[in-house]
Amino acid sequence: MTELLERDGRRVRVADVIPDDGPPPGSPWPDDAEIGRRFAAGDEQALAWAYERFAGQVHGMAVRAFGPGPDAEDVTQQVFVSAWTGRAGFRPHQAPLPAWLVGICRHKIADTWARRDRQRRATEAALAEAQAATGPAAPTVDSTVADRVLLLGELEQIGQPQRGIIELAFFEDLTHAQIADRTGLPLGTVKSHIRRTLERLRMRLEVDGAALHA
Amino acid sequence: MPHCTPEQLALAALREPLPDTDAAHLAGCDRCRAEVASLQRGVDALAVPELAAPQGSVAPPPAVWAAIAGATGVSVVPRPELVAGGTAPARPAPLPAPAPPPPGPRSPSGGSVVRPNFSRLLLATAAALVVGIGVGAAAVALGTADGDEGLQVAAAALAPLDDRGATGEATVVERDDGSRVLELQLDAADVPDGYYEVWLLDEAVSRLVPVGVVQGGDEASLALPTGIDIGEYPVVDVSVEPLDGDPSHSGDSVARGVLES
Repeated sequence: MTELLERDGRRVRVADVIPDDGPPPGSPWPDDAEIGRRFAAGDEQALAWAYERFAGQVHGMAVRAFGPGPDAEDVTQQVFVSAWTGRAGFRPHQAPLPAWLVGICRHKIADTWARRDRQRRATEAALAEAQAATGPAAPTVDSTVADRVLLLGELEQIGQPQRGIIELAFFEDLTHAQIADRTGLPLGTVKSHIRRTLERLRMRLEVDGAALHA
Repeated sequence: MPHCTPEQLALAALREPLPDTDAAHLAGCDRCRAEVASLQRGVDALAVPELAAPQGSVAPPPAVWAAIAGATGVSVVPRPELVAGGTAPARPAPLPAPAPPPPGPRSPSGGSVVRPNFSRLLLATAAALVVGIGVGAAAVALGTADGDEGLQVAAAALAPLDDRGATGEATVVERDDGSRVLELQLDAADVPDGYYEVWLLDEAVSRLVPVGVVQGGDEASLALPTGIDIGEYPVVDVSVEPLDGDPSHSGDSVARGVLES
């Protein structure tokens, strides 16, 4: 990330010396914040810039989850389409554009798992019917798959700094001490935010998870 | 022994080790363990490697953008050579495998801290070489005797690498005394607090030799290092360099072409 910022800082400088009023429409190196601002404003060029700069990371995540191929490509495509059509929901002060895209990518990965699980159940149900035989064998929902979709949605609702803290714990595998270091927040604050966020997620599972799994 | 605090149980749910006394209590206390288990369901759902922060870039195939453009109706197009990835889409030119450390010819290894992306940018812009090669092939007639000026032995048309639109022509002229100069005519906007620098690169875009400083809109005659093999370094590269005292390539190239002899 430091590299990225470093490069961006430099690019901005270079772009700035091109004689023009502000970054020209085709300015090759706007910084992430500028891309985010224009993205939110509906500037199509910003979508292309965001793709140039972040599609590799997004697709890297998709490939890590599904291997190279159609599933990963669908995820990457959906991330950018959803981001663009849902740009009204982009809150730069909550998360900068690349982090927002990564968040959407998590949703799309979880959705793909859920879709695969539905397909699995449909297949199993069809199979059971064909065998027309014994029993209760109603295919079971993979509850973890369903939990993920639910909880990623809940994470979106959590404000900062609580959300950033739990994301560092979940997605960057940092200990509470490392999170305190990284964020500059007191240890006790980090611990109590972690506690409350885990309670909140548990509550969401108890309320909606049960209904979902019924 | 008192129960663990709620905060400690939350950390245990994240699988952080607890202080010994708490760990010992937890091992033997059903109530505390049940609490950890109930908090852990959320952890187990989300803290999985597939959802972790991105760790590596993979360039999506071109069809992905085509589908995005189709679904959104946007008419802009990302520059494929800039779509970051571990592998460049459609590699046109031989590329250095994992590029060696930034090849800045005069900068010590510490320079890579300041300009970490040079090799990556070289990789990324390698795709643009195709343009240069195409144009270079159509270069001016060569080998013409040019009076006292010397003999033109190679030439390249420089094509822009981005929408700054810098273009130019480079010719290598051998003088009677055997020395060679790169004559460059560069058509590019002025850089108020920086300058253009000319380089010769090898075709793998992994090694480079600085040739000299030029201004946009100028003709310049730059002496080539004695003994340099332009067959080995056939790519003429023009970069924008800031006035920062760093002698290595900025990674910000504006035009390139391939010398044809």
